[in-house]
Amino acid sequence: MNPTHVTVPAIFARPTLAKRVESVIFTLLRLSTYFVLLCAAFIFWDIGTKGGAVIFQKSAPFINVPFLTEAPETLNVFEINGQKQTMGARAFRQYKAQHADELKGAHIETYVYSAGGIFPNIVGTLLLVAGSMVIALVLGVLSAIYLSEYATDGPFIRFLRLSIINLAGVPSIVFGLFGFGLFVIALDFGVSLLAGWLTMAFMVLPIIITASEEALKAVPKGYREGSLALGATKFQTIMTNVLPYALPGILTSSVLSIARVAGETAPIMFTAAFVVRDELPWQVQKWTDFFFQGVMALPYHIYVVATKIPQNEYTRDVQYGTAFVFLFTVAAIALTAVILRTRLRKKYKW
Amino acid sequence: MLMPSLGMPAATQTPAAPRLTTQEALLRKRTGWFFGMTGDQFVKYVFQGNAAISIVVLALITFTIFRDAVGFLPQNHANLVIYRLAGLEFVDIFREQVTTHSTISRYLASAREQQRDRLTKKEGLSPAAAMAQLAVFDDFANRFSDTISDEETILGTMTDLASSLKERQTVGEDLAEGKKKLLAAKRTATPERAAELQKQADEIQIETIDFKTEIQPLLAMRPQILEANAKLLVEMNALAANVPKFPDPAFTRKLEKFQGFVQAYAGEIKTAEAKMAAWDQTKPVGRLEAFNAFAFGRKWITGSSSWQDWYGVLPLLSGSLLIAFLALLIAIPLGVAAAVYVNQVARPAEQKFIKPYIEFISAIPSVVLGFFGIAMLGETLRRVSQSPSLDWVPGFPIAERLNATTAACLLALMAIPTIFSLAEDAINNVPRSFREASLALGATRLQTMIHITVPAALSGIMAAILLGFGRVVGETMVVLLCAGNRIEIPDFSKGAGVIFQPVHTMTGIIAQEMGEVVRDSIHYRALFMIGVLLFLISLLINWLAQKIVRRYRISIG
Repeated sequence: MNPTHVTVPAIFARPTLAKRVESVIFTLLRLSTYFVLLCAAFIFWDIGTKGGAVIFQKSAPFINVPFLTEAPETLNVFEINGQKQTMGARAFRQYKAQHADELKGAHIETYVYSAGGIFPNIVGTLLLVAGSMVIALVLGVLSAIYLSEYATDGPFIRFLRLSIINLAGVPSIVFGLFGFGLFVIALDFGVSLLAGWLTMAFMVLPIIITASEEALKAVPKGYREGSLALGATKFQTIMTNVLPYALPGILTSSVLSIARVAGETAPIMFTAAFVVRDELPWQVQKWTDFFFQGVMALPYHIYVVATKIPQNEYTRDVQYGTAFVFLFTVAAIALTAVILRTRLRKKYKW
Repeated sequence: MLMPSLGMPAATQTPAAPRLTTQEALLRKRTGWFFGMTGDQFVKYVFQGNAAISIVVLALITFTIFRDAVGFLPQNHANLVIYRLAGLEFVDIFREQVTTHSTISRYLASAREQQRDRLTKKEGLSPAAAMAQLAVFDDFANRFSDTISDEETILGTMTDLASSLKERQTVGEDLAEGKKKLLAAKRTATPERAAELQKQADEIQIETIDFKTEIQPLLAMRPQILEANAKLLVEMNALAANVPKFPDPAFTRKLEKFQGFVQAYAGEIKTAEAKMAAWDQTKPVGRLEAFNAFAFGRKWITGSSSWQDWYGVLPLLSGSLLIAFLALLIAIPLGVAAAVYVNQVARPAEQKFIKPYIEFISAIPSVVLGFFGIAMLGETLRRVSQSPSLDWVPGFPIAERLNATTAACLLALMAIPTIFSLAEDAINNVPRSFREASLALGATRLQTMIHITVPAALSGIMAAILLGFGRVVGETMVVLLCAGNRIEIPDFSKGAGVIFQPVHTMTGIIAQEMGEVVRDSIHYRALFMIGVLLFLISLLINWLAQKIVRRYRISIG
């Protein structure tokens, strides 16, 4: 035996090749994961800083109130006495009346929707989201109760589940096409709130059904059996012993689908959204007109200002400002849902 | 309380309701207060009815989009019949021949541009000196493009003839439509009004066009064409034989290529002539051709009512697929890697942060992503591509700010959350014991992952990828805003540079054109046809994903 040969305990050995390869691969995996997170963070940062500059101000009231409370206007850019002036359509009209001769021969550039604010769009989006969520929640939760509490496996249920799964995969533009063909044209609603509500409600229906059913199924069987054993009817059992415990879960799923509904553009493009409309939704003659009016909506407004007007220093404000308001509203809704869910998961552990 | 009745009613008592046995009481059919239903049953049916809404909606979607789409085939058939009858098809054969000639002219022009750039930039000649060097070539190129002038004149005459014939036909159709409306209105009108309507309808003279005789002037131009073509061939061959000589070998090679083009063009003239000779106006247009023109048509040209509208889906389909392929190329590695990392490697604290974060990404509205692409990403990519150190990348520098890659990058970000959460679920569902057994046998975590966990979850990962594909193909706003919207089949002959070309997509074209089309027109129906195609693709993807999951699900236990 060679006396110089010392056996080293395995723990102190240098890492084997397999170990080293492992750590390299793991680092790669970590890098690609964080790359994704970084990309998303960059988008938030870009829109957050550029849009935030439009929405927030350094001095009181710290928030650009006109942008949030006024209707979009055309922006006029002109040079007078060697100074660049920018004015919204209304202000420009007044100015023109006073300084008619000075303006003669001045070169005036106009950019549509680049002045004023996005108030009608915010209102329209809120209305669209609220209405479609009411419809979708009623239909969705009732369906989920049926699926989880009443249904016994059979051809009807199998077909039902198949429809739900397939409905979830249908592209949103096809929903838009469907809403246009059925509600706008065949049922003659016109481009209207009602058509948009129904189209979007049907679009999120599968999400709400699946998530609500999951929440209902998570309620332990013992709760139902206990109630039934005491002589309650099935309906009473559901109302007192199942729904209250499933409600938080259902709530979470509905908040998530609010984010989805608010974020979609394609289904409302031809069913509910107007490029521009002067009246606000409540300025209607009959109350029934309320349901049959088109509205301006934030996502569609972003599409319009991103494609129909050139990109330059004058239009950037409205573009980034709208994107900012929209992105962070939707993100806030989604964040609520995510936080709510983690909380609930901790709270309810059966 | 329930006791067997003894059957001994007291005479003084009013007859009580018959007492039931326990068994009878339990088996008794309960009749309720609402259409014979008990409250509970009624509630159940309410719930069931609601659940059936999903089936109804799916049926309604299918019905609505198919109803508006089926009309496309007969309308497109009529469209193609006129195309043949009015001789537009005949003219297009000749037009193709003329267009090829101008393509060769363009080739010469672009060769000249490159040569001029080389002379001024690499050899440092002044623009004027470069022009002087190229003067011989310019003269040559001009002589070449002049050779086609006879044909162009003939083509102009033919185009006028054919389109005026088609115009007369459309006017006739419109009049017939108007007459039909008048007659329909007559049925509900008062007698005197009806008489007036009848008079109006009678006044409408609808011209019946005898296409066979009307087309004769067009066909009579054949000898003229042959003559012009013969002249063209002679002139072209003479030119090709006397190509000016240049010292630069690269440029000479280009000119040799040009000679090859000219020879090929001579062959093309022969085939075009043969086609024109064989062209038969009376050949019926098959029913299938209307469908083929959609499914395999290479042109999507709409709104040009003067000549011919084409509704071929291939440019849009190929654009959609190209973008989806690129997006998945980015999203699959990143999404799956993130799923594996979060589930197998990450510490719990990391997990708690990354999972909600990625889920949160899926909430970014697509229109905001699209806007980001327009405002930021497209320009950035183009600026990066212009840096000289990246010249070796195929397709760089990028010509268009908005192209397939811009859209694909953003779509990848949308597909990653879908792929991530489904794949993570699948990996999570692999039984712990599999992993533990592998680790116990001395495998490292990486070996366990590669050989045990990921293969066991592979079906779920495949399904995740499929659904990610579905998400990407069906996405509208990002591609509408960022894909460049050029309706052309991507030019794959450019090699990998194809990914930087602007394309148009199926979803994009619906969103873009639906708002402007006339209801029930052929264009409107063509868009619904695309909707049907998208719908079928989504069903197919769903079906495949379910099938994969069911087929390869590992049995636990």
